[in-house]
Amino acid sequence: MKTESVHLNEDQLICAVVDESDLTVAVRNHLFACPACQNEKQQFEQELKILGHMAEKFVPLHRKAVSSLPERQGFWKNVFLSPVKWPRFAAGLTVILLMVGIWGSPQFETGYEEEIVQTAWESDEDQQMTTDIRVLEGYTLPEFYLDVSGETYGYFDEEFLEFVAPLEENQIHSEVIITDSVA
Amino acid sequence: MTDRKDQISELVEDARAGNRMAADQLVSLFHEDIFRMVYYRTSSRMDAEDLTQDIFVQMFKNLRSLKDAGRFRAWLFRIALNRIRDFYRKKSVMAFWGTTVEFDDTDHSDAVPHETPADKLIMEKEFLNQLNQFTDKLSKMEREVFILRFIDHLGIREIADTLKKGESTIKTHLYRALKKFRQTPGIHDLLKGT
Repeated sequence: MKTESVHLNEDQLICAVVDESDLTVAVRNHLFACPACQNEKQQFEQELKILGHMAEKFVPLHRKAVSSLPERQGFWKNVFLSPVKWPRFAAGLTVILLMVGIWGSPQFETGYEEEIVQTAWESDEDQQMTTDIRVLEGYTLPEFYLDVSGETYGYFDEEFLEFVAPLEENQIHSEVIITDSVA
Repeated sequence: MTDRKDQISELVEDARAGNRMAADQLVSLFHEDIFRMVYYRTSSRMDAEDLTQDIFVQMFKNLRSLKDAGRFRAWLFRIALNRIRDFYRKKSVMAFWGTTVEFDDTDHSDAVPHETPADKLIMEKEFLNQLNQFTDKLSKMEREVFILRFIDHLGIREIADTLKKGESTIKTHLYRALKKFRQTPGIHDLLKGT
């Protein structure tokens, strides 16, 4: 038969090596019946087997013991030996330091410290107010008005004060004297 | 084959229940395969060792998420591929920041000379050279499928599960990779010479 004398071409041979079941029935039958095609297919497969054996043969010996347990590695060694971990570690550390710096700055003082400052300030204010009250008790009028009130001052004597701002009783006595003289 | 698969399924179930010995047995069964798989994707023994350890730790951590114990191998290889992808992503990040890590591609930096005959070293170098020259001609998917099939010895179904693609897609990529393989004389000569 014509099909029997037509041997497998290159593509069919490769298909036969990949998966014989993908060949057409006719080609598969020919392969089954033809020693030359079978020989060629086997030679091809043998070449590929040798390739696999050589690959196994030329693999270097692995000297490290392998186990399913993870290797224990120190934290710092793990971080600094890893080309990906140490930049992440540095970035994380930078963020933490920035946050600490911002948090610790005066404009962000909150809570307990602020309360202490507030209390201290209020205490100072109270003290100042108490002092002011005592001063007012002693000197009812503000200092500016003491000039005209006739209140005693430490540095002005009575005679000067009488000249500048005479007292009312002294003024009435002067009017009586003037009236008497006119009459 | 079925016995081995049953054995693996049993170990997976025990490991899922928290049996550390079962987990360690799974590690011994697969650590050579995973190491080889990682080595041929990183070309560095040191990186392959570290990644292999990571992969098995991930395996143990995520064992509960494995729904079908019968698909353990494909699941494990998927973890491995994801881990390798992360490894390369980190490398590109480091390269961006100008902190690239030199990785060895000689792999004999600490080999004892008398244990490795000179001719074996030459053959190994030639093999790796020819393999890299060939796989460089393949697309990303073709390379991955080819290596999973013929170096990692996964079946079509397992490759489809590992890469989360359909079987026909896997076969298409494998077909294209094999076509290019047939057209690469260097690797043929090397394989015929052994």
